[in-house]
Amino acid sequence: MDRRCGYGLAAALALLAGGAAPALAADAPASPPATYSAHGADTCLVCHNDAGIMALFRTAHARPNDPRGPFGHGGLQCEACHGAGAAHVKAHGKQPAGIVDFGPRAVASAAKQNGMCLGCHRTGAAHDWDASVHATRGVACAGCHTLHAAHDPVRVADTQNEVCTTCHQTRQTDLLKLSHHPLREGKMACTACHSPHGSTAPAQLVHNTVNETCTACHAEYRGPFLWEHQPVTEDCDNCHEPHGSAQPALLKVRPPFLCQQCHEGAGHPSVANSPSGLPGGTPSAFLLAGGCVNCHSQVHGSNHPSGRALMR
Amino acid sequence: MKHLLRHNAPLALGVAAALAAGIAAADTPPEAPDTSSWKCSQCPFFEGYDAKVEVGAMYASGANASYGRYTGIDHTGAYADVAADGQYRSAEGNYASYDLEDLGLPSREGYVEGGHEGRFDVRLSYDGQPTRLYDVAVTPFRSLGDSSFGLPAGWVAAGSTAGMTQLQASLAPITLGFDRRTVALSGLLLAGSSWSVLGEFRRQEKVGTDFTSASFLTDALQVPQPVDYVTNSFDATAKWAGRMASLRITYTGSWFQDNSDTLTFANPYLPFVPGSTTGRLALPPGNNLQQLSAAGNVQLPWLATTLTYSASLGHLQQNAAFLPASTLPGATMPAPGSLDGDVHVSQYMLGLASHPLPKLSVHGHATYDGRDDATTPLTLAYVVTDTFPGGSFVTPRYSEDRVRLDGGADYSLFRWMRIGVAGELHDIHYGPGQVLTWSQDAQSWGYATIAPVAALSFTLKGGNAARKTSAFDAAALPPAENPLIRAYNYAPRDRVFFSLMSDWAVTATVSWTLEGFFADDDYRLSQLGLQSAHERRASTTISWRPRETLNLYADGGYQTYDYLQSGYSGVATPPWLVANAERFWNAGAGAEWLVSQRWRLKLDYLHTPSYTDTDITLNGPPQAFPQNWTRLDRTSLEATYVRSSALQFHLRYSFEKFDSSDWALGGVGPATIPNLLALGLQPYRHSVNLFALTASYQFGKVAAPKSD
Repeated sequence: MDRRCGYGLAAALALLAGGAAPALAADAPASPPATYSAHGADTCLVCHNDAGIMALFRTAHARPNDPRGPFGHGGLQCEACHGAGAAHVKAHGKQPAGIVDFGPRAVASAAKQNGMCLGCHRTGAAHDWDASVHATRGVACAGCHTLHAAHDPVRVADTQNEVCTTCHQTRQTDLLKLSHHPLREGKMACTACHSPHGSTAPAQLVHNTVNETCTACHAEYRGPFLWEHQPVTEDCDNCHEPHGSAQPALLKVRPPFLCQQCHEGAGHPSVANSPSGLPGGTPSAFLLAGGCVNCHSQVHGSNHPSGRALMR
Repeated sequence: MKHLLRHNAPLALGVAAALAAGIAAADTPPEAPDTSSWKCSQCPFFEGYDAKVEVGAMYASGANASYGRYTGIDHTGAYADVAADGQYRSAEGNYASYDLEDLGLPSREGYVEGGHEGRFDVRLSYDGQPTRLYDVAVTPFRSLGDSSFGLPAGWVAAGSTAGMTQLQASLAPITLGFDRRTVALSGLLLAGSSWSVLGEFRRQEKVGTDFTSASFLTDALQVPQPVDYVTNSFDATAKWAGRMASLRITYTGSWFQDNSDTLTFANPYLPFVPGSTTGRLALPPGNNLQQLSAAGNVQLPWLATTLTYSASLGHLQQNAAFLPASTLPGATMPAPGSLDGDVHVSQYMLGLASHPLPKLSVHGHATYDGRDDATTPLTLAYVVTDTFPGGSFVTPRYSEDRVRLDGGADYSLFRWMRIGVAGELHDIHYGPGQVLTWSQDAQSWGYATIAPVAALSFTLKGGNAARKTSAFDAAALPPAENPLIRAYNYAPRDRVFFSLMSDWAVTATVSWTLEGFFADDDYRLSQLGLQSAHERRASTTISWRPRETLNLYADGGYQTYDYLQSGYSGVATPPWLVANAERFWNAGAGAEWLVSQRWRLKLDYLHTPSYTDTDITLNGPPQAFPQNWTRLDRTSLEATYVRSSALQFHLRYSFEKFDSSDWALGGVGPATIPNLLALGLQPYRHSVNLFALTASYQFGKVAAPKSD
């Protein structure tokens, strides 16, 4: 390595290190190390006892007989998530040192908040969290989860979509389109397909591939068929837009034009379908009703010995 | 080593300095306390039971299939509005709960659950999901049972629909739609502090009437299609979660069964050849998937590094008996009598996420996905649409190997700015018999999240992608296919994209969020097929909470999708060009108001129009298709009266109007097209008033917190 280049890199790393210090300082514990309160939750609840906070005792985090939970035997109760609070108590609540707060107005950084959650959940539901898109964008767990609510909205199908579309706003628009999965009707949740805590699949899907995800519900298209349609075996997204479409059947493009993006064979596949094929002119079966699928109805594959052109 | 150190000393110093800074600033965990005196005497743990019952009625005026597509409110009339939930929990940790919703509708769902905290849980659930298709459908076909459809006595076959003199008299309405009903039984066993075992059996039935279509050479028809699918699936997972590592092993089995996997229908046209009076379709065959997977992570002891891994092996099979090659007299079943379909799917993944510096994180995955279709190709003599022999062909099999490498780095440059770069390389190696041997999509992007003040943050992301492919093997195209065509998924493509996501707490009571997306795709090497595509999306929401009891909001969105594609009809005409432009809007506003301790109000309004313009250029100026459009307007009002802490009344009114125009359906009756006997499906349209009045009553007994 060129020595000048090396010194440049060293300077850059030093700059990184220097830049790191202030950020760490913001989250660093007070010195000496923080200590826990004397009586655990009984200390906290003296002040923090409004209905919104007390709703926690309707949730899975507050089960006294669950040894894995923060309120199980030997658990750190409130301080399992909020951190050691002795200094906070000593300062009569005015000193937030050592306390981790959560939510949109939190003082603690997203990384600090998430560190508390991942202390228990990293080896469970969030096992691929660290490399997930949400983690790398600095999304806090509490950005989606409402931990003290008796029913966390993001864990209920009816309300989950509202939580996700708070950030993914354009998906909210997609759900309003003519053709859509039943999300806005509350019959399906984003997590039916996506794993917001990270996954090994593209787009954080819950199954290994797009097709495995789709055919988990639409098993009739799983095949293998005697006559396969290549784009179907490759990726359902080649033809469908699962978040919502102005075209029927969640199609990206309306037939016959969708089909003609791949098929231009001699004869009718290459016919230029114009408005003259509409009912006012010479109504064309290539164009109207289902278009190409009026004949080639088995577009997902056919198990008929004569299904070569997906017509049987 | 000395050589390395001497020449890289500056780098080593830099790394050492950086690591030292990180280590020096690392958290020092507090000492674990003695919790033996932590009584939690003020903790109001739930003990006892409580329950809520909602009973009421709804009346829908003007409802149809379009309105009730996923709710089942599909006709004018009254519906029961019934729901209930409740739970019981003992001091020892035994519990039971249930939640039942929409019991008066086909979309009813619910569960009952029981168990012991920290030991086990058993849950039984049901989910009904109606799907209503078109509101208007008529057909001359009559069900003969056993997935067979015939024509009424006296039917006059003809060469075109215009000549079917008995058609109008024979038309009868049919209801198109189906119900998806899922029952699941699941169990969870927690063993010690590290082990757990989960199992779930799920049975999903999809039953009803869909529609399909078929042809006799050049004459086509649409026909009802009975749907009777059953999918049984079973998942079993054993999980181990230690302090620094985890492992989960999962078996998945899924068995799909089609109880009506053939559809036979009479030929309403004059047969092209003697005996071609009946057609038969093969509907989805039964299949099964079995998969074994392992996944987990390991916390490595340096640089806050997490290693994730997964491996999955699956086997997909299908061996349903073949039908005869046609319905023509003398047609035989091909040998072998079934496919013995055999596809192996596999995935292996290794991921790493690390924080080498407190402000720097890096992450990456290497993934292999394989789809190996080991089914033996068959050479089959086939019959064209139950009309005449079409020759012999070999069934193609499609296999792919995919390798995906992705990685990125994110760095907190300043307290108010975080930046990152990332990339992804996606290789697909296609199996034999395909027009490509490989394609490679390389994508890279960068982003910056800027938060100039605590209340405002926005993330800008931009990047590009290039898909390259191997040489195109036109010989692998189906016979007569134009060798210049480049299928969408096979075509080289250049992409540029940007996105913006913003979140701003303007004041203590006003917040504003925005998301935008921009992408341009260029298929510059495709002479025929998709040429370009342009996508724009923007949506925003602003909310204002002038006081604790009132929340006002407004949202809106705008999306466009334009594409250009070309085709070629033959030497006598120049290439044709189709231009398509979609526009979609949504605008809404609403309020939630806690008027008093007794009254709560919610109001919501939504307006969403969409427009699709398509034109085609042949020999001259572009010819425009009629504009396709949709328009949805919905107003809803909900009022809740709190009579007491136990009794509430809910009044709900909504008005929803949907209208649409679709040139593929509008005005297309059963006989509009000479060679398509259609179902007469018409564009969606409804105008519905929905009134609902329910009373909910909460009862139960909850133990008070313990006190010393």
